[in-house]
Amino acid sequence: MSQFAVPWREKPEPSHGFVSSFIVALAKGIYAIATPIVTRFPGSILLSAVVASCFLVWAHALLFSYVDTAVLERAAEVGAANPNAFGYFSPSTWGLPPSVIGTLLAGDAAVEGQSPGLLSYLLWPVQFGFTRDMIAFGAIFAWFNIVPVYVIWWERKVAGRIQSRLGPMRVGGWHGWAQSPADGIKLVLKEDFIPDAADSILFRAAPYFAIIPSALAFVALPFGVTYIFREVDVALVFILAMLGIEVMSVILGGWASNNKWSVYGGMREACQMVAYEIPMGMALLVPVVCVGSLSLKYIGEVQADGWFSWLAFRNPFAFVAFVTYFIASLASCKRAPFDLPEAESELVAGFLTEYSGFRWALFFFAEYAAMFVVGGLATIMFLGGWNSPIPSDWGAGLGESIWAKGLKGILFSGPIWFILKCVFFLFLQLWVRWTLPRIRLDQVLYACVQVLLPLTMVLLFGTTLWVWASESGNATWDVIASIVSKVLGIVGLAFGFGFVAIAGYGFYHRRRLVGNLVIDPLPGS
Amino acid sequence: MAETTFESTPDLLLDHDRVEQGDLQTEELLVNMGPQHPSTHGVLRIVLRTDGEMVLEAEPHIGYLHRCAEKIGESVQPYQYIPYTDRMDYIAGMNNNQAFAIAIERLCGVEVPERAKRIRVIMAELNRIASHLVALGTYGLDMGAFTPFTWCFREREMILDLFEAACGARLTYSYITVGGVHDDLPDGWVERCEEFLDFFEPKIVDYNNLLSFNHIFVKRTATVGVITAEDALAFGLTGAALRATGVRWDLRKVTPYDGYEDYDFDIPIGQDGGIDGVPRGVVTGDCWSRYYVRILEMTQSVRIMRQALKRLEEGPIEAKKVKGIKLPADEVYVEIENPRGQLGFYVQGDGSAIPARVKARGPSFCNLAITSHTCRDILLADVPAIIGSLDVVLGEVDR
Amino acid sequence: MSLLVLLTASSAFGAPSDATGAAAPGSVLEAVLFYIVAGGVVVSALGVCIAQNIVRMAVWLFTALASVAVMYFLLAANFIGAIQLIVYAGGTLILLVFGVMLTSKSPWIRFEAPKLELVAATVVCVGLFLSLCTLLGRAAWESVDEATAGTSIATIGRALITEYLVPFEMAGVVLMIVMVGAAHMARQEK
Repeated sequence: MSQFAVPWREKPEPSHGFVSSFIVALAKGIYAIATPIVTRFPGSILLSAVVASCFLVWAHALLFSYVDTAVLERAAEVGAANPNAFGYFSPSTWGLPPSVIGTLLAGDAAVEGQSPGLLSYLLWPVQFGFTRDMIAFGAIFAWFNIVPVYVIWWERKVAGRIQSRLGPMRVGGWHGWAQSPADGIKLVLKEDFIPDAADSILFRAAPYFAIIPSALAFVALPFGVTYIFREVDVALVFILAMLGIEVMSVILGGWASNNKWSVYGGMREACQMVAYEIPMGMALLVPVVCVGSLSLKYIGEVQADGWFSWLAFRNPFAFVAFVTYFIASLASCKRAPFDLPEAESELVAGFLTEYSGFRWALFFFAEYAAMFVVGGLATIMFLGGWNSPIPSDWGAGLGESIWAKGLKGILFSGPIWFILKCVFFLFLQLWVRWTLPRIRLDQVLYACVQVLLPLTMVLLFGTTLWVWASESGNATWDVIASIVSKVLGIVGLAFGFGFVAIAGYGFYHRRRLVGNLVIDPLPGS
Repeated sequence: MAETTFESTPDLLLDHDRVEQGDLQTEELLVNMGPQHPSTHGVLRIVLRTDGEMVLEAEPHIGYLHRCAEKIGESVQPYQYIPYTDRMDYIAGMNNNQAFAIAIERLCGVEVPERAKRIRVIMAELNRIASHLVALGTYGLDMGAFTPFTWCFREREMILDLFEAACGARLTYSYITVGGVHDDLPDGWVERCEEFLDFFEPKIVDYNNLLSFNHIFVKRTATVGVITAEDALAFGLTGAALRATGVRWDLRKVTPYDGYEDYDFDIPIGQDGGIDGVPRGVVTGDCWSRYYVRILEMTQSVRIMRQALKRLEEGPIEAKKVKGIKLPADEVYVEIENPRGQLGFYVQGDGSAIPARVKARGPSFCNLAITSHTCRDILLADVPAIIGSLDVVLGEVDR
Repeated sequence: MSLLVLLTASSAFGAPSDATGAAAPGSVLEAVLFYIVAGGVVVSALGVCIAQNIVRMAVWLFTALASVAVMYFLLAANFIGAIQLIVYAGGTLILLVFGVMLTSKSPWIRFEAPKLELVAATVVCVGLFLSLCTLLGRAAWESVDEATAGTSIATIGRALITEYLVPFEMAGVVLMIVMVGAAHMARQEK
């Protein structure tokens, strides 16, 4: 208690509930245990975490497909041969009991009378879609949480390097690896503040309008051929819809804050998003026209023949559409140079001005998750999705054993490639943000309506003609098209290598930016 | 939910007849930009009358940082007043010290030793670079580019290290005093300063590549906030803001002080785009010109410093018997070229050791006056662009 | 919270092995979800009428449109559902809120209808409701089999440019006229 009387009413000291204290204690405990270990072995931990998560994901996929082939399909065969084989239990309603699974695994046609082994009990829950959903949901939910937390940390490190400083270095020891979780805990434990004059219901609701659509976008986003939570035949449109709904949160948050700067932020977001959804969607239609499907799984599957089969290199229009889409996607995620809704130097913090604590964190989670989703769309629509640059038929000689499948999952296609490409796009977004100034609102709209929109229309028309010409079966045209595709692929390769070279050069020369003037003490002073 | 009416705050209204409750045609909003706002560079408060994103009128309100700096000058001796001048334009403390010191020296007829003059020039130009670095960096920040800020501050830190080595302070130096400078340069300082200049000159190219010629940056600043030469002269604009309008006016050339007549340097001015590496679309007197004049001035400052460092000779650094000097019953007005423009000090003596009257003419204060003239019918995002390009320091505006 | 939403979404899109991508028709889960979502539509629609604040009305309208989209998903009409979300919830409604923010004197204004308008609206509503009820009672409901319900977008696309070409083009022309008119009006203001 303060010993001086203050003229305002003092708030009572907040008493921390059990949950808050528990979170703090847990975090402190984890931190105390993890910090020395991470500081000691950062590289090995990072590597083993990546390997372990890859292995975990792969093991799950293997388990599911094993149950599918060894149990469910066999049960269907047996059921087709003898409709009364399972008695009361039918695979479609209540699932197969462990005893039946044991029989099927044993390969015995006679179903009754087998005693189930331990394996049968372990496999029993996997046959249900609900169990698989729960596992997949856990994976998606974990990913949805890990991405924002670690992309924020990574962004701060990248920003630090670009600005010739270090970024977070303290929390957790090794390069401040625990900075983002620590920030998250701080934000959760902060005062729950709502301005008096705000529309408190909408103010509370707005962050959920941001977080729920960006989480739902992960429902239809494929990480690999079999790594999809739900395969939706219109996955592309669905994800675009989710990205479009997110705008509502900004507008509502801006309006409900009852702050003029927030309203400005909301109005800018509305302008920008409604305008940029069109070129973004049209740019995405270019590969759709090439492939003829809106299913992201199918679009990914047709790009399995290595680098030159990726859609961005199929025809020149798709190549330009790729660039167009990247620009429009920056605007859709309100990333710099399109970060007008939260333009710090103009609107204080735009729609986020009155937000703090957990709600603010939700907005940021949604933004970074949306960045990943947008990068994922670019990856699937233009850069081969989960396929590696190596053509997948090169692996035909490996055979079909489990280990060959695992090797193929790493070498030719798999979630690891998808995530790597998404990370590349995330890095591009970060790089752009920390390099470019912000565009003015009229220039944003000019660029959309006068430049991107006509351009994407031309691209759409051109790619339609290209596809039409390709489908006509003219041999000369096919030769020309394949040459153009190769040239585009080589240009893309040059861009890729250039990117790596520039980033590597910058990283290699990072210390020279500081110079020795600051460090050396003055002689004789 | 509170019903918000504009009538409840009548003091904010700029034009009463245009903002009326019954008026359905114009949906105008009065917005307070500042005193707490990221791009007002301190505690400037600008009241904006906006129509959507358009700013119809902007009115700067000042005085949040008023500390009676001029009145204090009438109760302390001149050498005691030097620290107060530091705190006016805290980005360019050396130049403020210099202006007041020269005013007192002219009033009392004190002759400054040659070495002191050279050191003063070196310090003033170093501080000019430091101040311009702050201006460029924060201007990038106003435009939404974060990286130029840290890059500029990286080099500014080196200048501050040099200052710290010379006088022990990093912000409020009080180094240039009446009759000379306070301390001599430490051993190795000159070499280190030359090393800094060698390091710094290529960095200007970096700033240009990163920010000055960035397409978005040029689009944001070119033809924005154009000030004509007539307007600039009528409003009493000085410094980079005046030179950007095409007027070649620099007190270091026009009325040289502290031996500036000995040095060979140019006065950069703003010009239309298309020639001399100036991007197309740039108009004389716009925000980009004001920004770029500062870049060019840094190069000239480096030139001056190289000459001054070469001519630096051993000798006394302070005139004798200046502490407690009696001011004659006379008056003097001296203006020098501050990084922001012409900083003038008017001092009136009455025969005692304490001035009877001290008055400062601040360049930021005078440059800020053109804000409401320029910020008419522009976009909201242009307001930080214009304010930032004028490069005001609120400590000196409010004094 | 998000668990619930994800569960709903997963049920809406059906089990992975399900070829049509929809929950098994007639299942208990589908019925429960349908009533929840239908209740959401009704409550949100009422909210649009009852709310006094214009932006809250818009939010209610948003939830109503979004619930209708979820109903489309439940009926395995994924394309229509997604388009509903993009066009109505993500586009039109945002323009509406944007217009409200731009044009209203103060966004914190409250909307109160005069008594006469209330009476007139009630009469119209009751009339509409009664006629709808009669229609619902008289209609001959035939159950649609699953194959037609889960129409692929290729089919929709073909239908749009063959069977329904004229209405499709008409809609395009109407939108074009609206755009030209809006541009003209916006120009006149200057």
